[in-house]
Amino acid sequence: MSAFEKPQIISHIQKGLNYTVFDCKWVPCSAKFVTMGNFARGTGVIQLYEIQHGDLKLLREIEKAKPIKCGTFGATSLQQRYLATGDFAGNLHIWNLEAPEIPVYSVKGHKEIINTIDGVGGLGIGEGAPEIVTGSRDGTVKVWDPRQKDDPVANMEPVQGENKRDCWTVAFGNAYNQEERVVCAGYDNGDIKLFDLRNMSLRWETNIKNGVCSLEFDRKDISMNKLVATSLEGKFHVFDMRTQHPTKGFASVSEKAHKSTVWQVRHLPQNRELFLTAGGAGSLHLWKYEYPIQRSKKDSEGVEMGVAGSVSLLQNVTLSTQPISSLDWSPDKRGLCICSSFDQMAERTTLYRSEAAPHLGPL
Amino acid sequence: MPLQVSDYTWQQTKTSVFISVPLRGVSVRDADVFCTENYLKVNFPPFLFEVFLCAPIDDENSKAKIGNDTIIFTLYKKEVAMWETLSLSGVDKEMMQRIREKSILQAQERAKEATEAKAAARREDQKYALNVMMQIEEEERKKIEDMKENERMKATKELEAWKECQRKAEEQKRIHREEKFCEQEKQIEDERKKLKHKSHTRISASRNLATKATKVFKRRNSENIFLEKLKENSIPAPRSVGSIKINFTPRVFPTALRESQVAEEEEWLHKQAEARRALNTDIPELSDLKEEEKNPEWLKDKGNKLFATENYLAAINAYNLAIRLNNKIPLLYLNRAACHLKLKNLHKAIEDSSKALELLTPPVADNANGRMKAHIRRGTAFCQLELYVEGLQDYEAALKIDPSNEIVQNDAEKIRNIIQGTELKS
Repeated sequence: MSAFEKPQIISHIQKGLNYTVFDCKWVPCSAKFVTMGNFARGTGVIQLYEIQHGDLKLLREIEKAKPIKCGTFGATSLQQRYLATGDFAGNLHIWNLEAPEIPVYSVKGHKEIINTIDGVGGLGIGEGAPEIVTGSRDGTVKVWDPRQKDDPVANMEPVQGENKRDCWTVAFGNAYNQEERVVCAGYDNGDIKLFDLRNMSLRWETNIKNGVCSLEFDRKDISMNKLVATSLEGKFHVFDMRTQHPTKGFASVSEKAHKSTVWQVRHLPQNRELFLTAGGAGSLHLWKYEYPIQRSKKDSEGVEMGVAGSVSLLQNVTLSTQPISSLDWSPDKRGLCICSSFDQMAERTTLYRSEAAPHLGPL
Repeated sequence: MPLQVSDYTWQQTKTSVFISVPLRGVSVRDADVFCTENYLKVNFPPFLFEVFLCAPIDDENSKAKIGNDTIIFTLYKKEVAMWETLSLSGVDKEMMQRIREKSILQAQERAKEATEAKAAARREDQKYALNVMMQIEEEERKKIEDMKENERMKATKELEAWKECQRKAEEQKRIHREEKFCEQEKQIEDERKKLKHKSHTRISASRNLATKATKVFKRRNSENIFLEKLKENSIPAPRSVGSIKINFTPRVFPTALRESQVAEEEEWLHKQAEARRALNTDIPELSDLKEEEKNPEWLKDKGNKLFATENYLAAINAYNLAIRLNNKIPLLYLNRAACHLKLKNLHKAIEDSSKALELLTPPVADNANGRMKAHIRRGTAFCQLELYVEGLQDYEAALKIDPSNEIVQNDAEKIRNIIQGTELKS
C-alpha cells in the first residue's frame, strides 16, 4: 500500500485545558463530547464541548466536589443520554447533563477510587437490562442497575483475607440476548478475569505478566468474538474469544508497540477489525486484525481450541509528549475520534488535548 | 645542451601568424609546446625551438598542429598589425631569461585560475542540485499537507451538515409535539366555551376547567406512563443479586506487575528470605520445639545417632533442620550425603557432597579429612550412577589427599578396570 492508500490520521483541533483530564466521551447522536477530570484545587469537573465550524466551543462546565476519574454513556437510552461517572472517593453518579445539580442516581459504591467504568444495554445497542460496571482500587468489581438503589446486582470481590489488587479496567461483552452477559476485569498484577453474569461464576482467568491497563471486546452486543487487553511495558494481546479450551483458555496473539505503557484500546464502531491504541509516549497506533484461515482446530486430545490471527500496524502518529490517557471513537461519524492526554508540568497545568480524524480510504 | 632550431618558416596576415617548425624525425609524442603571450617554445629533445614574439598574441585561442614531421602554429595576434620580424630584436641573454621566467609565471597563474574556476563551477552546480532536490521535497510535503487540509475541511463540513440534519429532526419533533399540545389546548377551549354557554356558575366553570385541565394532564401523564410501561416490558427486571469470590495471582509487592522488573523483585525477595533465615528467632514451626532442639550441634549429634541406628530418613530430617538453622556447617552436608547414599538418593548425595566441598574451601590440612570423605562419597554416587569417569576423578582427588588409604586405592583400581573394560568392548 503506498503512503496515500494507507489510512491517515489527521489531527483536526487541539485545545489546551486548565485542568487534568482523565476521560473523554462522545455524547451519542451529536457533535458534542464531555471531558472529565479535576481542577488543581481538588474538585471534579465535567465539561461539555461542541464542535462548531472547526473549533471547539465550551457549552457547559459542571464542578463537583470530588475529582472524576471515568465516565460512560453506555447504559442510558438515546433520548435521555445520562452520563454515569465514577469519582476519586468511590461514588458512582448518573447525571442528567441538562440538570446537573442533583444526580439521577448516586451510590457510594466502593471504598476507594473508581478506576474504570463501563455501561451496556443502552443507546439502542444490544438487549437486556441497562447495567453499569465499576472497578476500583479496593479490588472489587461491582455491577449496578440504575433501577436498584444502594446495592450492586453483582459483586466480584476477593476471598476473605486475600490481599486485594487494584482493578484497573473493566469491560462488558457477550450481551447478545437478554440473559447473557459477561464482564471482563483487568488488574494491576496482570490478572484478567472473565465473569459470566448469567451463571454468576468465573468463566476464565489468565495472567499476562504485566499490569492490565485497558480491556475491550470488539463489540459488546454480539457473541464474544475478540478481546484486546493492553498492558504496561508496551504490550497488548488480542484474544480470540470464540473457542474456549478447558485448560488452555483462549488463543491469543500479542504485539509490542509504543515502547511504553499502552493506556487505551478502542475498536472502531463501524469496523470491528480496526482498533486504535494510545501509548504513554503520546502516540496513537491504528491496527488491523486478520483472522486465521481456520479459527479453531483440534489439539492432541481432540478438544477444540482457538487459533489466533495476526495484527498489522496500519498507521501511527505522535500527538503529544505526554501519555494519551483516553480515547473515544464517535459512534455517528465514521473515523472521528477524540483523545485526551495529560501534561503535568508544575507551573502550567495546561492539559493538552487533540482531535484526530482518521481518513479511512479503501480498505 | 639542446640544439637550437633555426630553420623554421613563418608567414603572417594582419590578424595571425603562421610558424612552421620541422620536427626532424623526432616523434610527435616527445614534442612539448609551451606558449605564453610573448614567448613560444617547443622542446623536442634534442632540439629546442624558442622565439620571443614581437608583439603579444592571444595564446588561449592559438593552435598548434603537430604532424607530418612539422609543427604548424596558428597564432592570433592581439593587435592587428603587421610584424616586421617574428622575434624581438635586440634581446640579450638577461632579457631572454626574464621573459622566460615571466612567461612561466604567467602560465602557472593561468593554470591556477583555471582550477579555481573549475572548483567554483562545481560548487555552484552542487548547490543548484541541492536546491532543486529541496524544492521537490517541499512540493511533496505540501501536497500531503494540502490533502490533509482538504480532508479536514471535508470532515468539518460533513459534521456541520449532519448537525443541521439533527437539528432539523429535533425541530420537527418539537413542532409535532407543540401541535399536539395546541390541539389539546384547543380542546380545552372548546369545552370551556361549551360550559360558558351552559351558563354554569363561574366557580363551577373554573372547577370544570380545572378538572378538564387536570383530566387532560392526567391523560397525558397516563399516556406517558403507558409508554414507559411498554418500554419496561421489553427490558428485563434488574438481575437477582449475586456475588463471585475471586482469588488473585499472588504478588508480594503492592506495585503493578512489570515484566522488566521481575528479575529484580525476585532477587530482593531472595535476599529478604536469607536475612530472615539468619535471624531465625520466629520461624513458626520451631515454636513448639524444645530449646536444645534448636541447636544445630545438638541436631547434628542426633542425626549421627539416627544414622548409626540405620534410621536414615529421620537422620535426614534432623540434618535438614540443622541446615535450615545454620547452612554454613559443612559437616551437616557431609553427613546428609552419607544418608542419601544409603537411601540411594544418588543425585542428592552428589549435591550435598558438592556443597560440603564448596564450604570446605580453602583446602588445608585441617579439613583434609572432611574433603576426603566428600570426594569418596561423591565418587561412590557417581559410580552407582554409572558415571565412572567422574567417579574416578573424585577417587583420585581423595587419593591425592591421602595416598595411603588402601580401600580407596582398591576402589580406584576397580573403577579403572571397569572403564577400560567398557572401552575395550566398544
